Amino acid sequence: MPNIIACFKWVIDEAYIRKGPSGALDFSAVDYKISDYDRNAIEEAARLKGLHGGSVTVLTVGAPEAAKGVKDALSRGADQAFFAGDPSFNRLESSQTAAILGEIIRSRIPYDLVICGEGSSDEYAQQVGPRLAEMLGIPCISYVQKLTIGEGGRILAERRVEEGVEVVEAPLPVLATVLPEINTPRIPGVKDTLMASKKPVVNIKKEELPAVGAARLRTMGMTATRMERNCEKFAATPEGIARFVAALQKMGVIS
Amino acid sequence: MPGIWIFAERKDLALELLTVAGALASQTGVKVTAVVPEQGGQTDTYIAGGADEIVLLSPLGEDMSLDVWLPVIAAETKGADPDIFLVAATARGKDFAARLAARLDTGLCSNCIALHREEDGTIVMERLAYGGAAVQQLNCSARPAMATIPPRTFTPAPADHGRSGIIRKLPLPPSSPVRVIEKKTKERGSQDITEAKTVICVGRGIEKQEDINTARQLADLVGGGIGCTRPISEELHWLPDDLCIGLSGVQVKPDLYLGLGVSGQIQHVTGIRGARVICAVNKDENAPIFQAADLGIVGDLYEVTPKLIEELKKAMGR
Repeated sequence: MPNIIACFKWVIDEAYIRKGPSGALDFSAVDYKISDYDRNAIEEAARLKGLHGGSVTVLTVGAPEAAKGVKDALSRGADQAFFAGDPSFNRLESSQTAAILGEIIRSRIPYDLVICGEGSSDEYAQQVGPRLAEMLGIPCISYVQKLTIGEGGRILAERRVEEGVEVVEAPLPVLATVLPEINTPRIPGVKDTLMASKKPVVNIKKEELPAVGAARLRTMGMTATRMERNCEKFAATPEGIARFVAALQKMGVIS
Repeated sequence: MPGIWIFAERKDLALELLTVAGALASQTGVKVTAVVPEQGGQTDTYIAGGADEIVLLSPLGEDMSLDVWLPVIAAETKGADPDIFLVAATARGKDFAARLAARLDTGLCSNCIALHREEDGTIVMERLAYGGAAVQQLNCSARPAMATIPPRTFTPAPADHGRSGIIRKLPLPPSSPVRVIEKKTKERGSQDITEAKTVICVGRGIEKQEDINTARQLADLVGGGIGCTRPISEELHWLPDDLCIGLSGVQVKPDLYLGLGVSGQIQHVTGIRGARVICAVNKDENAPIFQAADLGIVGDLYEVTPKLIEELKKAMGR
């Protein structure tokens, strides 16, 4: 019966980011969420447990506020959680996140399969999964749209590539990163949320972990994306639509 | 040793990377090394495109996955110690680059859309963050600075047939634990959405799958292709995934994009940034798509689209 780890990131919900006057980003009204595709990772772990038994552990590293995310993750079918929370873990770079996750998994959680989302909804660097596989020294299968645990502890995965689908097979332990189409994440009910607060959470302090290496990438600037568009609106009247079509003609995009 | 390395699985993508590599190399006079799979007689193209050295990867066995090359390329890179390593951001390429960066203990700028060298030699790499809401500028403190570059971000390098270069071939490494057991090539739609001059995109404002036909009529009229937002392909499965436009789907650069019932979430808008003219029909006048659009019609797409088709027919003399 497989022991499955699903990693997740607690992120700013980008729908709440506003653009400030001078191109700066305004984070004053933001809310947080489990990164979109990490919800698919947790769901896939829970789905596989439903089929094969075993256990599901959710794991995250982040700011202390991510404790809220830990509870959310536990309400999605996980049995237990590991959480390394520290103010200095707020804005880690992929290489640092992978190093911390790798250290926690190696030293504390027995596993057969690690599942990550293909990328986070804030930075979408798509690196933590593959880097974590390297830290653990296990095969990585990324961009997976279908995952099956087969006979003899082998994993069968359909990965989406540019030409179509590549079906690959590897012996466990394996790390897989999953695409949103792999499943539909559940919406936790009241009962799930109540049960989540009774599940075990292992809190790991920064001091219990080896020192985190320096970030390899430095952010030199972050500005709101400029979309310089005309933003001209037309009414849905016959005249409005005629003027709209005339504008398209003038711009030379219809002939 | 200073130098710029590139790796791409396909010839067209290697040539796009050579454009960037060439621009950086010309500033400092360093050599460009292209790591590419051996695909028969393409070395001249790469040399003409700006490569000074070609590292040819022997063809993979039918069941071998790209990761067999990881230890070999990591060792080659460590030996040569280039300044920059650029990788074409295909699915396999992104995975490969992240694992290579881990092995080299360096930073990787994912989906880099621009990069330049400052006067003091600092390499500045740009990418989109927060679903495309922000542009992030990054600099790498370790060597090599790595970046993955999405397909079609740069034009292919022009050919200069007077150039010369050296070719080195690497023998096939042993298999990795990951075995490829099947390759299913997708059935291509009649039109590749990334190549279409006009894209008609349907969003959540479409109520029934058969209503996509009206959008299709419009697309046929203007000679365009159909695309969609993520909920249409992912949740409703009304259209295939390869028509899903957005940050994690395909990025399109048509002359004309028209969104029907598209709300304009940032992830989707990021996929259409390169469009020359963006238009939208949406009944919610506060929909974010109108801020990303050049022209918008505020109205019910079910009333507007048929009228728009009639008006376009008149204007186009059909």
